[in-house]
Amino acid sequence: MTKEASAPRLLAMSGITKRFPGVVALADVSLHLFGGEVLALMGENGAGKSTLMKILGGAETPDEGGIDIDEKPVVLDSVREAHRLGIALIHQELMLAPNLDIAGNIFLGNERAVGSVGTLRRRELHLAAGALLARVGLALAPTTLVSTLTAGQMQMVEIAKALSKKARIIIMDEPTSSLTVSESEHLFRIIGQLKAGGIGIIYISHRMDEVMKLGDRITVLRDGRHVGTLVRDEATPDKIVSMMVGRELKNAYFPDRTTKSADSPVLVVRDLVVPGTAHRVSFFAGRGEILGFAGLVGSGRTELMETIFGITPPRSGTMTVAEKPYAPRRPRDAIDCGVYLAPEDRKKNGLVLPMTVAENISLPNVASYASFSLLNRNVERQVAEAEVARLRTKTPSIFQKVVNLSGGNQQKIVLGKWLAMGPKVLILDEPTRGVDVGAKAEIYRHMASLADEGITILMVSSDMEEILGMSDRVVVMHERQVRGILAREGLTPERIANLMTGRDAGGAAA
Amino acid sequence: MRRELGMCVALVAMCLMLFVSNPDFLGPSNALNTMRQIAMLGIYAIGIGFVIISGGIDLSIGSVIGLTGVIIAKLSSGAAPGLGYSLWVGIPCALAVALLIGLGQGLLITRLKLQPFIVTLGGMLLIRGISQTVAEGGTISFGDAPFLELANGGILRVNGEPLLPYPVLIFLVVIAIGTFLLHFTVLGRYVYAIGGNREAARYSGIDVDKVETMTYVISAGLAGVAGVCYASYIGQMSQQVGVAYELYAIAAAVLGGCSLRGGEGTVLGIVIGSAIMRVIDNGINMFQLKYRDDGGMARIWRLDPNWTFIIIGAVILLAVVLDQLVHMVNDARRIRRAAAPGGRPPAGGVETQPSAKAS
Repeated sequence: MTKEASAPRLLAMSGITKRFPGVVALADVSLHLFGGEVLALMGENGAGKSTLMKILGGAETPDEGGIDIDEKPVVLDSVREAHRLGIALIHQELMLAPNLDIAGNIFLGNERAVGSVGTLRRRELHLAAGALLARVGLALAPTTLVSTLTAGQMQMVEIAKALSKKARIIIMDEPTSSLTVSESEHLFRIIGQLKAGGIGIIYISHRMDEVMKLGDRITVLRDGRHVGTLVRDEATPDKIVSMMVGRELKNAYFPDRTTKSADSPVLVVRDLVVPGTAHRVSFFAGRGEILGFAGLVGSGRTELMETIFGITPPRSGTMTVAEKPYAPRRPRDAIDCGVYLAPEDRKKNGLVLPMTVAENISLPNVASYASFSLLNRNVERQVAEAEVARLRTKTPSIFQKVVNLSGGNQQKIVLGKWLAMGPKVLILDEPTRGVDVGAKAEIYRHMASLADEGITILMVSSDMEEILGMSDRVVVMHERQVRGILAREGLTPERIANLMTGRDAGGAAA
Repeated sequence: MRRELGMCVALVAMCLMLFVSNPDFLGPSNALNTMRQIAMLGIYAIGIGFVIISGGIDLSIGSVIGLTGVIIAKLSSGAAPGLGYSLWVGIPCALAVALLIGLGQGLLITRLKLQPFIVTLGGMLLIRGISQTVAEGGTISFGDAPFLELANGGILRVNGEPLLPYPVLIFLVVIAIGTFLLHFTVLGRYVYAIGGNREAARYSGIDVDKVETMTYVISAGLAGVAGVCYASYIGQMSQQVGVAYELYAIAAAVLGGCSLRGGEGTVLGIVIGSAIMRVIDNGINMFQLKYRDDGGMARIWRLDPNWTFIIIGAVILLAVVLDQLVHMVNDARRIRRAAAPGGRPPAGGVETQPSAKAS
């Protein structure tokens, strides 16, 4: 599939430099894309992938460098211009209007592609949308409301939308991050068809298997610089990872841990019914144990954790923490019992972005530092300094606003906030989502040492490697039920995958 | 503090300009009256500041100001239809009603998850209607009761004129308590956290509902205090008193650096914002240019009072535009600094310490 260097380039970016306040996001980056190929783009968070994408989408203009399309220089100074030139962006968080139907979304802002003057010609829109849906293999009526679609279906609508604009360059940013396995496979088939139609695809992903499978060439960015581009045949996961992090990682960033025997249960959950389900969930977690929760997106793991943390009180069932009854009605009850949650979406639920590092770390505990409700900034500062140092958080100072930190460092702030309070049970929901490889390894080491200190960790993760690498036991959930609890010995990805896709319904509880 | 400083400079410049154009601006009677006006606006602007910083909005405070005054007039005025009770009955009753209104609205907003805009819009109309009903559509006069001394009297008398009118005294106390609560207590920290990210505050174990309800109680309570001052200042109450005052308070808060998205603002800023609003108001009356017409006659040019709202509106827009421009210029400057030699990008979260290698 590799093209000759002499083949006409669909897209060529040369010497692209982009500066933001305090950061050079891209420094002299050059890359090109042929028609009918997939260029996989990899890099840690903050490597410059999204900036590059925004430049191609016309949302940002480069400070230096030029862009050629079909070997002719172009100026991408607006989103509209990018559309006109046939560039389509498919964001990680899909940008569809949930209150409109599929056809309305496909032609949003582009209604004139069908019909003439400003009038909406519904029949034509629906016909045209139907044809596009067929191309992306989506068997749905164009009148279906987008709010009723699954993440995978929405993705296909986005692709149909790109096709409606006659896009020749499609950029996908982590397209599979919220898709099920079968939805991902469908996406890969459609990508194959798009390639066959001569469309060039830039595929941004953190998932090594996808990149190795889809990418005809693989470009790696690091710190806003172009580290190198590998043709698929010469690429290996180890090579790519070392290019991404700038050093050999030896595929061993999971710390060695001796599995804890789960003989002294700290958290016991019995017949818990989470609101919105009818299923009873039971499990226990021992002292110093890391209990992994595997499952697909939507399998009810986050909801279960939120119930344990008191966000949504259970409909029935009992829990005990350290053999004392535990029935949290709100997060404060959980916190008072030493049960803490680092939520899945840290920007939405975990951090107050416009506040400082110190203020975020002290937030759940600031009242206990206070005397007569008077803030004690000294204690606050000391605690924050200690946690920042313990987790080796990279921040200019504890008075830096959290919004200015990278994903990995933000996650460390969320961890620090709870570690400062001495957890008994620490619930980590997707602890390394959006965290770069280096910081991931550090977070894993911290988790291991916390477990060694006797802290019980519940770890929800959609990353199979993480589940396999970190868990002492694994609870597998499917459709809001516990399908099996597996011990570390004899744990294989296949066993977990079978349980979490519901193929092996009779999973034995350990 | 950048915003506060900028606004402070603007305020001083405005005062100087007014003083040069018309020395009476700082004359004892005008200066005292302007101070009183600033104080009365500032009292309830600080109240709404709590709500705005926590990410809410309170449109009802103008009506609360009106109702407080009407209740005092109804209960304590000697003239019909006043009931002639002691002020020691009238004022506490009125303040209690104000606090209850805040509590009620706060509970509706937090317990039933209603939008603050709608709840307080409903409250605004409903409370206005109650005022009208209590005042029976007319005006209740306080006559020349000692109550009027509250707004017009003061301490540190010089030549019979008080240097420090009571409303200013009350304002200073409100500033002190407001600053203490917002900037030095756990409650204040929670207010900022909720305004910055309501969900993260909840996930950190903060009783968001309680704190939010509290901000509406504070807002309505301080509107009540302002209402007592206004009643005494005006000397007679009708349902018209307090109409649109909430908009002045919101404008003062925004001028002083509060963001309606929540999480931003300071008591000092709100005080400066209130002062600017009132100085503009007063300045429109005071500003004058002396000139000689073609016949050599000395004449004075004044601003048309009909322009009041045009000028106030323009100033608010100008302030937010300037603030945004300063933001943009600062950002551009930071970019240039980053691009300067040696301005390497921060490591972007990539771990480079040796210890970060696989363990």
